[in-house]
Amino acid sequence: MISVFQSAGFARVAITHRYECFVGTTKERTARRYGVVGVNVSAVRGI
Amino acid sequence: MAITCPVNFDVKSLRKEVQSIYSRVADAPHGEFHFHRGPAYAARMLGYDSAELAALPADVSSSFAGVANPHAIAPLPNGATVVDIGCGAGMDLLLAARRVGPAGRAIGVDMTEAMRQRAAAGAAQCGLHHVDVRAGDATNLPVDTASVDIAISNGVLNLVPEKERAVAEIARILKPGGRVQIGDIVIGEVLDDTALADIDLWTG
Repeated sequence: MISVFQSAGFARVAITHRYECFVGTTKERTARRYGVVGVNVSAVRGI
Repeated sequence: MAITCPVNFDVKSLRKEVQSIYSRVADAPHGEFHFHRGPAYAARMLGYDSAELAALPADVSSSFAGVANPHAIAPLPNGATVVDIGCGAGMDLLLAARRVGPAGRAIGVDMTEAMRQRAAAGAAQCGLHHVDVRAGDATNLPVDTASVDIAISNGVLNLVPEKERAVAEIARILKPGGRVQIGDIVIGEVLDDTALADIDLWTG
């Protein structure tokens, strides 16, 4: 996702927070296997 | 523009499946799903303020199915125009509306009618008259070019196969210098073909 925003011309693209949003769900094991986590992403549209 | 998908899913079928699942979430948020929902989850696992969530209509917060917390990135300034892409039942949208105040605007876009109805009803119930809920999807936003200060979203872009097109739409609607504050999921490794072809992993 970071690279998609960068390719679209966004600046200061960054992951600011991570969340283990699948813990306790039926997909928890799959999420752990593939390293799937929730993230906050910030970016700024170029001027 | 041609609709493309990195795997061999029919994009229309995938979109229909996503609509079906999130219609079920709107109708029966306490049902069986492979992702968390609701305000208790949002407060406990994503750091939302439980008092703020308690002040929202239950019909709005119970169908929340986000994966992160875009509000934690930076405050939404008073008077700003914010778009919530895939606003669902409107939890993030109504929080945004409260933060930007009546001098601002909070526009919610969602492709699922049942979710839009909840969001619009919730805004009316809260007296948030600067909320506008519109039908649309992330690849074709019903929003004017260069009219938005901040684009928020939560757990939506991962459901969109045409991510480049969705991000181009975000770039189109933002004013120069406008911000993105998005919650979504990322994958820590390259997926094998079996995982890529698992529609459950695309619709959750």
